[in-house]
Amino acid sequence: MARTVQSKRKPWVKNLYSNREYPDNYTDVSFLKDLRTNLNVRFYTFAEAVAGISVLNNQISCITGFLILYHLMLNDTVAPTSILVPTCVITGIGYLFYRGKSLSMKLLGEDSKTLVTVLLFGYMFSPMLHTLTQAISTDTIYTMTFFVMLFNLMFADYGLDVAMVSKAISLNGAIFGAICLASRLSTSYHAFVLLVEAAIFFVLYPILTAGTWHAIFMLPIFVICCTTLYFISRPVMHLYACTTLFVNFICPLIFVQYQRYKFNIHGPWDEAIVEENTDENLDENL
Amino acid sequence: MRICMVSDFFYPSIGGVEEHVYNLSQMLLALGHKVVVLTHAYGDCTGVRYVTNMLKVYYLPIKVCYNQCILPTAVCNVPMLRAVLLREQVQVVHGHSAFSALAHEALMVGALLGLKTVFTDHSLFGFADLSAALTNKLLEINLSMVNHAICVSHIGKENTVLRARVAKHRVSVIPNAVDTALFTPDPSQRPQEGIINIVVASRLVYRKGIDLLAGVIPRFKNTPNINFIIVGDGPKRDLLEEIREKCNMQERVEIVGAVEHAMVRDVLVRGHIFVNTSLTEAYCMAIVEAASCGLQVVSTCVGGIPEVLPNSLILLVEPDVDAIYNAILVAIERHRRHESSCAETARSKRRRRKKGNVLPSAVPEPPKHADEAVLCPYRCNELVETLYNWEDVARRTVKVYERVIKESAFTLSELIYAVNQCGSWFLVFFVVAHFMLLLLEYWRPRNRVEAAFELTPKSARDHKQSSKVFM
Repeated sequence: MARTVQSKRKPWVKNLYSNREYPDNYTDVSFLKDLRTNLNVRFYTFAEAVAGISVLNNQISCITGFLILYHLMLNDTVAPTSILVPTCVITGIGYLFYRGKSLSMKLLGEDSKTLVTVLLFGYMFSPMLHTLTQAISTDTIYTMTFFVMLFNLMFADYGLDVAMVSKAISLNGAIFGAICLASRLSTSYHAFVLLVEAAIFFVLYPILTAGTWHAIFMLPIFVICCTTLYFISRPVMHLYACTTLFVNFICPLIFVQYQRYKFNIHGPWDEAIVEENTDENLDENL
Repeated sequence: MRICMVSDFFYPSIGGVEEHVYNLSQMLLALGHKVVVLTHAYGDCTGVRYVTNMLKVYYLPIKVCYNQCILPTAVCNVPMLRAVLLREQVQVVHGHSAFSALAHEALMVGALLGLKTVFTDHSLFGFADLSAALTNKLLEINLSMVNHAICVSHIGKENTVLRARVAKHRVSVIPNAVDTALFTPDPSQRPQEGIINIVVASRLVYRKGIDLLAGVIPRFKNTPNINFIIVGDGPKRDLLEEIREKCNMQERVEIVGAVEHAMVRDVLVRGHIFVNTSLTEAYCMAIVEAASCGLQVVSTCVGGIPEVLPNSLILLVEPDVDAIYNAILVAIERHRRHESSCAETARSKRRRRKKGNVLPSAVPEPPKHADEAVLCPYRCNELVETLYNWEDVARRTVKVYERVIKESAFTLSELIYAVNQCGSWFLVFFVVAHFMLLLLEYWRPRNRVEAAFELTPKSARDHKQSSKVFM
């Protein structure tokens, strides 16, 4: 307790050995003067938040698109070949766009080797994958697909550097879901096409969008998904539209509103940050 | 006064908290108080034991969960803690370390039994991450049931006041101390012929800034008469060994590994300069021990370190490889100048000291300015002795005890109100603990609890035992 300070007392110094005349629980006026708040805190505008969240919406729409294709094939509305050919063409265009100027014959050769291997093995194994989960009841399959797709959403890489992100879990979830669904289709050729689509939607598409994503892309994707769902099922369309709009506009609004409660304390007790030595940077530091 | 020290950390484990509890207990015993220590069982080390000077230690049979801490259940150990506290007729429960779940539980039981509670916080905490937020909440709840808190540095006090929202006047600052009679210099152990030894003694973990050290060592690749001695063990040891290999410094960087605390002095006296690269530290006993052994100390300026030693004993630098390197160069330069100025006379004196008893009277002139570096090892030791000693720490702690004894104990409604203020969810545990105590009061009423047999050093001698283990 700050007693009435006697005039003869030495001034209080912030060290542990010289304030003999002061009681141990004395609190000096300089207490907490090094306290800083919200040093590195960034405040986001609503527009930034909306643009940022569209990455998540893109992933939701990606899953929706894949499920739409599955539904089209399940009801035999569209033949598998008429799905496979256009998507392959689009993928080819996407590939050229992705490689851009760095495209060379050597690179093309290597990439096509990978492509042929994947397609060949996919085609060879599709009868087996088709029957792999056939004995499981449809309800179980759909529930399982729901959960693994949820995992895909949760662990997908949205460009954040946090422990939660795991590309492996995310991709495995999606592929596992695709294999589950493949067993409900009529022939193994259907199953093969579905797996190819899964690869395109969950492997190649994220690679492309990771570098070139812009929030405005969400608009055509949203329109396409809504239109297709309109012909498949109205309630699902409403559900999709509501979810997307909620995620894209209401959530950022809440986030921006609650930003004023940000209160980050910094002070001398914070751990100093140093670059950790890893195997990669060890040699340059020598 | 009858005091019960509670902490998960006690001998046979080794560290800053353990040492603090042990030394403080010994001093309190010497001052004529009755002290018991409460900790969990360490492997075979279980039951009631007596250590030096009849310090009674209860190793409670509780399983260790993580990092030498018991599982924080809040209520499961209530009967055992109550039994110990009542049998020993404790007046003040003194918990140590925010990481110790046992300390928190004992403080709650103590508060519910109407005893006085004191808590010593030995560490600093950030506010940024999730684990810190969780620990801070628990600390806040527990400190709301504590009469008085003690921190080891002023930074620690600021930190504790902020994260646990305790009233400022309920927090005292009482530093750690070092036994300067144990950590004495011995220049004869240092290498001759102009070789300079740089000593590092810490656990080899990220928080101790071993990555900085790994950046500093290669800079001395081409200065052949600078050697490193590194004491301690931990996950970063591989990194240091790799660096040593890559720089071809196998001869010059000695990695000793983990060393018993009593042996640390033997390594320290071999060095001229002590380097501490911690990234955060509430008090840092290592630098005081090193200064007491007469080494020049180079340390990062983080946490409570700037408060610990006067500028004449320490070189403070930013936590950065270049800054540490430059400071070490300054320290080497100082040492060389000191060596050359200490002419023949000093050297002959030192030779005499090697044989005869060490007498710190024959030291060179003390420096004129307060900030001027003190280089004579014996003078360093004297200086540290004037700054810190355990007796002073114990007396100041006793003052805190006397203060809380005078305060009125928390009533149940006060406690419930306080807990409700910081985190109402904890009331679940609190209420369970309270009813358990009521039940126990019914089964084993307080006035019929048998008091523990008092073993004084004299009666112990009658039992033809001095400081060995009793069961």
